[in-house]
Amino acid sequence: MSGAAPAPDDLEGASAGTPAARLAAYVRGGGVVVPVLTAVLAFLAGGLVILVTGHDPFSTYKAIFDGSGLNWLLPWTSSADRPAAALNLQQTLLLTTPLILVGLAVAFAFRCGLFNIGGNGQYLVGVYASVWVGSSFAGMGKLPHILLAVLAGALAGAAWAAIAGVLKATVGAHEVITTIMLNYIALWIGAYLFQLGGPLQSDAQRSVPVSNDVVAGARLPVFWGDPQLQGLHVGIFVSLAALVVFWLVMNRSTIGYEVRAVGLNPEAARYGGMSVARNYALVMAVSGGFAGLAGAMDILGWEFRIATNDINTATQIGFYGIAVALLGRSTALGTGAAALLFGALLSGTSQRNLDPSIFEPELAANLTLIIQGLVILLVSADVIVLGLLRQGRRVVRRSDRGSPTHEVAR
Amino acid sequence: MEVPALELRGITKRFPGGVVANDGVDFDLRRGEIHALLGENGAGKSTLMNVLYGLYRPDAGEMRVDGHRVEITTPSQAIDLGIGMVHQHFMLVPVMTVAENIVLANEPRRGALFDARAASARVRELSERYGLAVDPDATVEDITVGMQQRVEILRALYRGARILVLDEPTAVLTAQEARELFEILESLKADGAAIVFISHKLGEVLEIADRITVLRRGRKVDTVPAEGATEASLARLMVGRDVLMQVEKSPATAAEPMLEVRDLHVRDDRGLEAVAGVSLEVRAGEIVALAGVDGNGQAELVDAITGLRRVESGQVLVGGRDLTGAGARETVRSGVSHIAEDRQRRGLVLGFTLAENLALREYNTPRLSRRGWLSTKRMARRAAALLREYDVRGGEPATLASALSGGNQQKCVVAREIAADPRVLIAAQPTRGLDVGAIEFVHRRLVAERDAGRAILLVSLELEEVRALADRILVVYEGRIAGEFAPDASEEELGLAMTGGRREAA
Amino acid sequence: MSTAVATARPTRTLSARQAGWAGIALGAVAWFIALPPALVRTPAPSLVLAAAAVGGGAWALRGGERRLGWGAIAAGVAGAAGAVAATHSGVGHLRDVVTWSALVAATLRYATPLTFGALGGIVCERSGVINIALEGMMLMGAFFGIFGADLTGSWELGLLVAMIAGGALALVHAFFAITLRADQIVSGTGLNLLALGVTGYVFLDHYGDQGTPDDIPRVPDVSLPGVKSIPFVGDAVGHTNLLTWIALLGVLALWVYLFRTPSGLRLRSVGESPRAAATVGIGVLRTRYLAVVASGVLAALGGAYLSIAFLGSFNQGMTAGRGFIALAAVIFGNWRPGGALAATLLFGFSSALAQRLPTFSESSAVLFQALPYVLTLIAVAGVIGRSRPPAAAGRPYVPE
Repeated sequence: MSGAAPAPDDLEGASAGTPAARLAAYVRGGGVVVPVLTAVLAFLAGGLVILVTGHDPFSTYKAIFDGSGLNWLLPWTSSADRPAAALNLQQTLLLTTPLILVGLAVAFAFRCGLFNIGGNGQYLVGVYASVWVGSSFAGMGKLPHILLAVLAGALAGAAWAAIAGVLKATVGAHEVITTIMLNYIALWIGAYLFQLGGPLQSDAQRSVPVSNDVVAGARLPVFWGDPQLQGLHVGIFVSLAALVVFWLVMNRSTIGYEVRAVGLNPEAARYGGMSVARNYALVMAVSGGFAGLAGAMDILGWEFRIATNDINTATQIGFYGIAVALLGRSTALGTGAAALLFGALLSGTSQRNLDPSIFEPELAANLTLIIQGLVILLVSADVIVLGLLRQGRRVVRRSDRGSPTHEVAR
Repeated sequence: MEVPALELRGITKRFPGGVVANDGVDFDLRRGEIHALLGENGAGKSTLMNVLYGLYRPDAGEMRVDGHRVEITTPSQAIDLGIGMVHQHFMLVPVMTVAENIVLANEPRRGALFDARAASARVRELSERYGLAVDPDATVEDITVGMQQRVEILRALYRGARILVLDEPTAVLTAQEARELFEILESLKADGAAIVFISHKLGEVLEIADRITVLRRGRKVDTVPAEGATEASLARLMVGRDVLMQVEKSPATAAEPMLEVRDLHVRDDRGLEAVAGVSLEVRAGEIVALAGVDGNGQAELVDAITGLRRVESGQVLVGGRDLTGAGARETVRSGVSHIAEDRQRRGLVLGFTLAENLALREYNTPRLSRRGWLSTKRMARRAAALLREYDVRGGEPATLASALSGGNQQKCVVAREIAADPRVLIAAQPTRGLDVGAIEFVHRRLVAERDAGRAILLVSLELEEVRALADRILVVYEGRIAGEFAPDASEEELGLAMTGGRREAA
Repeated sequence: MSTAVATARPTRTLSARQAGWAGIALGAVAWFIALPPALVRTPAPSLVLAAAAVGGGAWALRGGERRLGWGAIAAGVAGAAGAVAATHSGVGHLRDVVTWSALVAATLRYATPLTFGALGGIVCERSGVINIALEGMMLMGAFFGIFGADLTGSWELGLLVAMIAGGALALVHAFFAITLRADQIVSGTGLNLLALGVTGYVFLDHYGDQGTPDDIPRVPDVSLPGVKSIPFVGDAVGHTNLLTWIALLGVLALWVYLFRTPSGLRLRSVGESPRAAATVGIGVLRTRYLAVVASGVLAALGGAYLSIAFLGSFNQGMTAGRGFIALAAVIFGNWRPGGALAATLLFGFSSALAQRLPTFSESSAVLFQALPYVLTLIAVAGVIGRSRPPAAAGRPYVPE
């Protein structure tokens, strides 16, 4: 018995009631009140941090809001401020694009009761694949080249995550551990590929550890703003389409039906004739595909190249995805809204957008981390909040019927 | 007269929802005695002992240990009073050694360190004194279930227990292990220990006990000396003479065999043989009941037939087609429906709406989806029709299954399984935990489906239900068919076969 | 599981175990003799030794020792490859890279923070609480260690502040994981981001762009006068930081605690079967609280080593994933202090080697850094025998 892999039967039985599955179930409930409350609490706590360190939370948040460009949407913003606001809003939406996708990566896995903590690695391999395809094949037609580069990114992310999915399905290796390991392996692979003398290092700048530039023909078209100033590229539509596809697949397809059944009750899913193991492998692959797509959007939309020292700093995006998915309750609409919130927060606190005379951007970047950390932390425990809400409702319903002692939950 | 080691007077325990698990139960236990607590599942045996062990607070009644009135509110208090419990599900740490498990929380020390050698020695000494041979240094997960039980007994003794409660101790043992356990209990008894032996097996109770207290539906029926009692007299006390359930039905018109099981062998989760060569046949248009006490291989048999569990050897045929090892999906497709034993764990996805739950069997058939896309409209329409037809109350197609009461949840499961138009319907404890109205509904429906020509295998622990519904009764005992009976067989006859008693003639 | 299997095991596997260990040793020797100071310049002897190592591995596999067997085979293959590579490189280069005493010293330097983190991880997970927030706890230690040392002017107080900060973050983890029964992985992820934000914020707010000053009191090295003059040992461990010694002692202490004290026995029982522990009167929730806080304190020491012992400065996010490597070491070492130490030394050695390899080949050196993660991935995949976590890890306990 030592070291032998358990029979698939044991495996699937044991996975019933995994913490992730429980969370996935809870996270779906609660409506819009709990997430809004969670976000408000996190922002209040962030405000407190600003206050105790001797700054003014109101003007700081106002500056971040203006930095995000969301004031462009307000009718009373003066026409003098509008051009700057538009630039800022383009930045916000530029950042929202990958956040939606990595959020979906986490959300999709969550709905199947899996915790994909490997968004970083999947995003990175997506970046590597699409920067390679995008910087090669210079003679190709524009549309096929873009499609090929996008596809390469998504497939690379899918393959990377599928390693964790297959390990989960076959030997029951915990996806949290495997995806963390895959994150760091992806990171070092990147460091290897683009370092000086690395296989994919730039041909033009032999002394800089950076990739080749994505050729002009493979870049995503910019439709709002100046392409020279990081205008908004069409990737945002890809992300929005992904939200729609996610919603359709989740709620209208037999695949989504299976995924949700496995996530909520693997035992009942098995009893209904579904293969739990197959779903785990498939879901991880799709999930990684979303994250890889995020990488492709960034590289083909506005970054165009990746340097080895970006690879270290880029590695928070998978965790942002967790915050997005959790706050968005793993639903399509929620993920979109949460991605916009965090996209605004990220761009509003960036060097480029935040007014340094009010609050130092570098400090604000850490504020963003604090707020995101608090959001995740609070969501992890809103099992309790939800439990209380539900209990409250049950009591109300019972007293409505006028027989309060009749059916007390055990 | 000597003061009893333990005395329970008028213990009453009500659960929320109005269930009275114990109703004024009296029980007394002498030193050097083995006192059996006998009753069917749900008769209130375990509740009574959990009250004694401080896990439940009684609503009325008093307890005396050695003549002194006591209040027991936690297991630690019970332990301090010398009460030791051998749980049905062992409370052991599998990766630790026998000695570590026994001394846990009462460890011998040498300085600040745990004295493993002393622990080992103490355990060895204790095991020799009571004749419970165990290896103190073996790891618990590596030893047999019988050995693990000895570890539980030894732990109670190590903590100075003089009153020992064993909750269905033979349920997990082989015949040989049970024999060894009885020898151990005899020697403990000779040593002056007082032992409560909970069981629903007549034969072993007669063999081991000095006195027998029979519980039925939470009440004490009688306390009788083992001497002079017979399996038949005990079975009568245990089952009682309750009003029979009436289900109107005409004689069956059984046609060709629909479900055939041939010499099936299946292992349980622990790898032990749970189904040991079962052969049975269910014809179209009849209800065959599989009666038996819980844990005699019924669950594994049903899992094997429905493709959820691996078959060791033997065959399962549906409509003449071999489905052995075909898997759950293929079995479902071949026209086998399954009302699962545990509706919350298996039968329903509680976080799904009723429409989604009702689609669990057929979501990928043209009826509800096309080319991989669900038709929510058809799902909702169909759900609405089924909810109406099966009289499910308190929910619409969009209601979450978790919001329904147990009876209505079960109706949903029944509705889904029958709506799939199966040739074979397996109903595993279909009325467990339901109220009278819901029970009646399910019963009538099963008979109607029989009359519609389906082959129905009913697995039930309730003799009344079995007798009311079945056209033929198969009694299962220790993974084998212990006999076939007509529905008019007496409860005594059935009860005997179910509890391993000898059977005169079928 | 039958008794027959259990009783048959010892006699057969004893020799299989020996064969496995011998194989691993032979594989190492095969490589070793091709390096300085032995420097055998022909691969033949190494290849013979490597073949023997593979043979030992195969024997161990037949005896059912999967992890040892594959380990020996891997050691044999790696030894052969290493030896062939070494015999093909110049002697001068080899002498540059392979200075054993320097490699040992560097290995210890890299392993120290990982060891503290792994000790914290073991304590926490052995009690049944998954600790994915080790990274954050180390980071808290790294920043607040240097912050405390700077403010108080004393490294001792710096360490104390670090431990309090790590313990405080752990207390939050405990509150969410144990009392609120939150999903431990999700809350741990949140805490990591929170720690990153909090340390970064306070760091920038207090030190601004200048960074930490240069005159921070540092945890001293321990000079062993007697040892220093011994040729090899002196260079390797003669000048080793105090915290390194504490980490090594900590491994021993934790092993004694877990496996040789009543309290350790109880801690493990809580992590394996909390209900069984509760029925004999052990306070499950209390035990877990203490374990989680202790893990934060230990991890913080690892972080403090980075800032006030090793580098003498702090930069944002300076733990750079070391908490996750520590977690990997916990898993790779099968939740045992000795095993985790072996893992951290292996990971430390791979970092030390990676630092020196660029003399040969820039590119392969970088890939070397991924080794800990690849090995852990293989370990959890069960290819070389499965790592087995405490049975109740990650499951909140609900008292009756």
